[in-house]
Amino acid sequence: MTKDELTEEESLSGKDYLDPPPVKTFEVRELKKWSFYRAVIAEFIATLLFLYVTVLTVIGFKSQTDINAGGGACASVGLLGISWAFGGMIFILVYCTAGISGGHINPAVTFGLFLASKVSLVRAVSYMVAQCLGATCGVGLVKVFQSTYYNRYGGGANMLSDGYNVGVGVGAEIIGTFVLVYTVFSATDPKRNARDSHIPVLAPLPIGFSVFMVHLATIPITGTGINPARSFGAAVIYNNQKAWDDQWIFWVGPFVGAAIAAFYHQFVLRAGAMKAYGSVRSQLHELHA
Amino acid sequence: MAKDVEAVPGEGFQTRDYQDPPPAPFIDGAELKKWSFYRAVIAEFVATLLFLYITVLTVIGYKIQSDTDAGGVDCGGVGILGIAWAFGGMIFILVYCTAGISGGHINPAVTFGLFLARKVSLPRALLYIIAQCLGAICGVGFVKAFQSSYYTRYGGGANSLADGYSTGTGLAAEIIGTFVLVYTVFSATDPKRSARDSHVPVLAPLPIGFAVFMVHLATIPITGTGINPARSFGAAVIYNKSKPWDDHWIFWVGPFIGAAIAAFYHQFVLRASGSKSLGSFRSAANV
Repeated sequence: MTKDELTEEESLSGKDYLDPPPVKTFEVRELKKWSFYRAVIAEFIATLLFLYVTVLTVIGFKSQTDINAGGGACASVGLLGISWAFGGMIFILVYCTAGISGGHINPAVTFGLFLASKVSLVRAVSYMVAQCLGATCGVGLVKVFQSTYYNRYGGGANMLSDGYNVGVGVGAEIIGTFVLVYTVFSATDPKRNARDSHIPVLAPLPIGFSVFMVHLATIPITGTGINPARSFGAAVIYNNQKAWDDQWIFWVGPFVGAAIAAFYHQFVLRAGAMKAYGSVRSQLHELHA
Repeated sequence: MAKDVEAVPGEGFQTRDYQDPPPAPFIDGAELKKWSFYRAVIAEFVATLLFLYITVLTVIGYKIQSDTDAGGVDCGGVGILGIAWAFGGMIFILVYCTAGISGGHINPAVTFGLFLARKVSLPRALLYIIAQCLGAICGVGFVKAFQSSYYTRYGGGANSLADGYSTGTGLAAEIIGTFVLVYTVFSATDPKRSARDSHVPVLAPLPIGFAVFMVHLATIPITGTGINPARSFGAAVIYNKSKPWDDHWIFWVGPFIGAAIAAFYHQFVLRASGSKSLGSFRSAANV
């Protein structure tokens, strides 16, 4: 018993960080605070800007490389530029909104953090609704600016490419979202912050880079969703049969990937399970004593 | 005598605000009993799996989209610049995510270099290398599972010597490329440098990722750029053709030599361990 106490004390004195307690699933007191609504508004605006810049980049690329309409094969920013647009915008927007809403900008990220008890159910649902509405408005702006080009060049919608089956599409979305959400968990880990002298200043950069990387890899397969709001917003405005037929891939894949990332980070890397086991054993030991 | 003895320690304490960690034991039995050891191995496996999945998928995707005989177009795909970004960017992300867990090696050459510098024990080094190779195989396996015909048609992302280059050139490119990477790793993790940067290691992964990016820009035309034996091994296993296997030794010998040179350069030239050893000998003789 005394030895156990010493161990616990030792453990406490060895840590210079504090894991925040799990957020209650049905926390409702936050509904009375302005910071909650400010966060929801921030997610809406961030997702709107994200979709506006990225989809505008996609449509611009396609119109400028359309050889049948006077474009040139090498005339635009290329797929590399499109990937940068997605990754770069996430970097900027996460940087801007991290202190306000946590900078999710992605229902899959929100879902992963919800599973890890870092956001409440009410907040998670509100964020997802705001993100989907923001995405719809963002793509809506793009269509308003160039309706003809928008419709002609696929509306920036996510669809399974020819030559790939549904399983591959889902698999690509799962692994891609795992990379993103795993990076988010690592970037926001309080233990990591302690190691970095509590300076999280660069957390948005690897998150933006992970989006950039996944786009480089999976644009040929699905146009890269890994963000259900992004896929939803484009599907709503483009309103095309195939975009809707494939839409489920862009919700199931990301949510499964986020869940796996949450599990991996919480139970393997942070050893939550081992600690739980340890505490159970400790209790048994107490009973025995 | 008295003056010498008193002065040196005082001087040392006043000027140094960092502490070099002691050399890792050759074989550390204690670490084998801790979960953090196995967690680190798992982290290396997952990181290398993701690294190969994203990068080889990018390579195959680029080749599909730029194949003008099969419906692709000039300037289709992300370009070779995009491929270099995929390699460098993934190393940045993964080193960032796993630095606090396993040290973020993701590369047998890095593990080997750190082992030579006494920063990891032998069992840890061996298990990391095995985990990295297995992770690489699984990562490329995913890519093949997703697009088997494309994968086989477009070279499987495997490293082999390009036409027009001799074996010696390929080997030299791998040696120098890995030297750049491992030397950057040593600089980024140097405790003396951390002290100078106010002990904030937050930016360490970025130059490491950029080192990988730079070397890829330079040597993709020569060997497709290995500088990571696990990466070359994973692709060779899944692609399983004669030429990648014939050239495969280049991608282990080159990186390991480059890592050894980097370890020597950093430990004995830049950190002057050799001079300090000589100094301690002289001091002993004096006594």
